[in-house]
Amino acid sequence: MKTPGRILAEKVAGAGASGRFSVRSGNLPIWCPGCGYYGIHQGINDAIRRLGLPHHEVVTVSGIGCAGRYPFFADTYGLHTVHGRALPVSTGVKLANPKLTVFAVGGDGDGLAIGGGHLPHICRRDVNVNYILFDNSIYGLTKGQPSPSSPTGFRTKTSPAGTTEAPLNPTLMVLSYGATFVARLFAGDPEGITAALVEGIGHEGFSFFHVYSSCVTFDKEFKTWANLNRRIHPVPRDLDRGDRKAAIGHVLDDDFSMGVIYRA
Amino acid sequence: MRAIDLTVEICGMSGDGTIAAGALLNAAMAKTGLSVMAFDTYPAEIRGFGRCVTRSRIGDESMVALADRTQVLISLDDEQSRSRIPFLEPDATVFLDSRPPALVAEGQSLAAHVEPENSLIGVPFGDLSSQVAGSKRSKNIVALGAFAGAFGVPPEAFREVITVKFRSKGGKVVDVNVQCFDAGYRYVHENHPDRVTGLLSPKEGAGTGDRQLLSGSVAISRGALDAGVKRYFGYPITPATPIMEYLARALPERGGAVVQMEDEISSIGAVLGSFYAGTRAMTATSGPGFALMTELITHGVMAEIPAVIVNAQRGGPSTGLPTKTEQSDLQAAVFGGPGDSARIVLAPTDVCECYRYTAGSFRLAEKYQTPVIVLTDFFLNNRVETVTLAPAAEQEIADGNVYPDESKKGGYRRYEITESGISPRSVPGQEGFTYSATGLEHAETGLPDYTPENHMSMSEKRQRKIAGALRDLPAPEEFGDDGPLDVGVVAWGSTFGSALEAVLRARAEGMKAGTLKIVTLFPYHADRIRSFMARCRRVLIPELNMDGQLANLVGHLNSEEVIRLNRVTGVPLSPREIYEKIRELGG
Repeated sequence: MKTPGRILAEKVAGAGASGRFSVRSGNLPIWCPGCGYYGIHQGINDAIRRLGLPHHEVVTVSGIGCAGRYPFFADTYGLHTVHGRALPVSTGVKLANPKLTVFAVGGDGDGLAIGGGHLPHICRRDVNVNYILFDNSIYGLTKGQPSPSSPTGFRTKTSPAGTTEAPLNPTLMVLSYGATFVARLFAGDPEGITAALVEGIGHEGFSFFHVYSSCVTFDKEFKTWANLNRRIHPVPRDLDRGDRKAAIGHVLDDDFSMGVIYRA
Repeated sequence: MRAIDLTVEICGMSGDGTIAAGALLNAAMAKTGLSVMAFDTYPAEIRGFGRCVTRSRIGDESMVALADRTQVLISLDDEQSRSRIPFLEPDATVFLDSRPPALVAEGQSLAAHVEPENSLIGVPFGDLSSQVAGSKRSKNIVALGAFAGAFGVPPEAFREVITVKFRSKGGKVVDVNVQCFDAGYRYVHENHPDRVTGLLSPKEGAGTGDRQLLSGSVAISRGALDAGVKRYFGYPITPATPIMEYLARALPERGGAVVQMEDEISSIGAVLGSFYAGTRAMTATSGPGFALMTELITHGVMAEIPAVIVNAQRGGPSTGLPTKTEQSDLQAAVFGGPGDSARIVLAPTDVCECYRYTAGSFRLAEKYQTPVIVLTDFFLNNRVETVTLAPAAEQEIADGNVYPDESKKGGYRRYEITESGISPRSVPGQEGFTYSATGLEHAETGLPDYTPENHMSMSEKRQRKIAGALRDLPAPEEFGDDGPLDVGVVAWGSTFGSALEAVLRARAEGMKAGTLKIVTLFPYHADRIRSFMARCRRVLIPELNMDGQLANLVGHLNSEEVIRLNRVTGVPLSPREIYEKIRELGG
């Protein structure tokens, strides 16, 4: 029987032949309609295509969560690991075969909570892995709990009175960990994601892409599309992108500037 | 019959150079062509908090276990050495410092406590060291000189190993230590000429041949190197660290790399990532680290990714006894983790097997697309033996990967259900065979699929695959004879050597005893184990754990309850303990 999903998959496969979706597998994302992750997906696809990377020489490693499902939707080699461990596994993949282009992808819970201990170490090792942090500041797959990047006072089913913890700032963290390529991006701007990825993939070393996204299903008050659209703006032109101190100063002052912030 | 079977202990406070002296003794004895098996015990703290003891069994035939009794005690510290008196043979020889550095209270000296039949040889270790080296630091070397002098060990053997040990510190340090050795040697000849024997003088034609003095850890490392391991990811933990230290020097010379990761989780993660991308990798850890690896090990089972993990067991649970030996991780290795996660578990029983089965585990991991756990223990990793390593056979280390046929391009199903359970596995870089590996239950394509039929058939496939590996795994070996036995000892890991020695002793006394060595813990050779047990009136399973973990695993194969001998004292089970149990059961 042809389910609506199957029909759509066939259409996508057909579109693949035309070149438009060539990096997508025949499997459609399971993300909710309106999810920011579609935009990130498109941004990555376009970057792979623009660089002309052969799909079989790309490996996408993920952990667990809505973002963790990403490898199933990409026509690359994929490795959907366990919760929080995309970074060490991707380290193993890259060191095993340096010719491969390796993406690590995952959400804010995966990368900042359970997997947060790995982030400083991939930075200091400067492994040539491209880590894309899908940050919607919420646990979506478990139906809406606060994450380490949720704002203080965030009300969810496990924090009915509002959270008391302060949010982490992943961009600031990796800058202080010594990351050699740092960009902050917006899921609503796939072209911006593509541009930063094209630059970051070319960077010999660890590249960090912090992508702000919206969870349309479980977050109605904080990182909504309306709020994000209102507040984001480009990284100032006069920021010296080779100056870590300046980058840290800038990120301390500004939570919503988008673009490449630092490059060693 | 052995002409020489001498157990020598060196005992001191940590910081006395006890362990260093033991290593020199072992190396020198191996140089003279004798067989050595030696094991040290020491406290977890680096210096100043506890007793260090090295035990070296020296013989003219190869040996399978440490001895129960000590014939020679070299004391670097009276107070610590008193604790060793109960282990001495009645006619043991005791070397002690005749002018100990601190005042020893009356009645506290070693001399006041040893048995009257013990032969005491007093040598002013500290004073001689001070005279030659300007400090008492080389008293351990003086003591070795005294031992060599009394037992007729050729001084060249010691001078050679002392030179090797101190070479990196410069010629002056070498000279001073050789002089300290000579001072001890000379002192015994001048002051105790009546005690000088030629027991350890080399026999005509004795030579080391191709024998080497190796620890289990080094044998494991060499096995991995000979199998072509390219990456090592690890996190320091006693007693597995020496493997990482060895490979950190050896692997880069062979174009490989060692990466010290941030924890054990990332270590096994990187190993899986490496094998996923087609490159042999390994990690080594001990109980607490192994526990952290468990989730990713089951990911390797589910996603069918090879991995090689050494678990050098120590006392547990939790942080447990970091510097003591135990065999209490069998259940964790075989069953640890969520879900039905069958994997291959091998437990070498001696240093040669550490080499051979580590080398062979890479091909097994690739062929059966599964984590392979090499389960050793503190005793096995840290003891040294004089061994002859037969290089790993080509068919045991060859590429085990089964790659997909080019004809499958376009319609590749990574987890295709096959009779053997083995589905051809592509590696990144192979065009036309992209897929996603996942820890979710998945269909043949690799896509998530939780339907009842799929989970059943995929679980059966994985189980079939591991069960089918049995034909490639080392089968149990029987020792004794083919007839009915009064007592059959089933043993694994480092305890097997003691079991074998105990059985040989019992047989020499006319008892009908035999033993079965089990190396493959999972999957296991049920038929072979059952048929051995069937011809034993009583089955004894000695292990260094409280649960009787091997007994729990294979005890059901016997028609009646197996007898368990469980010890968790932190030291190896001695042949005598097993022998006494055999006597009790056989009578």
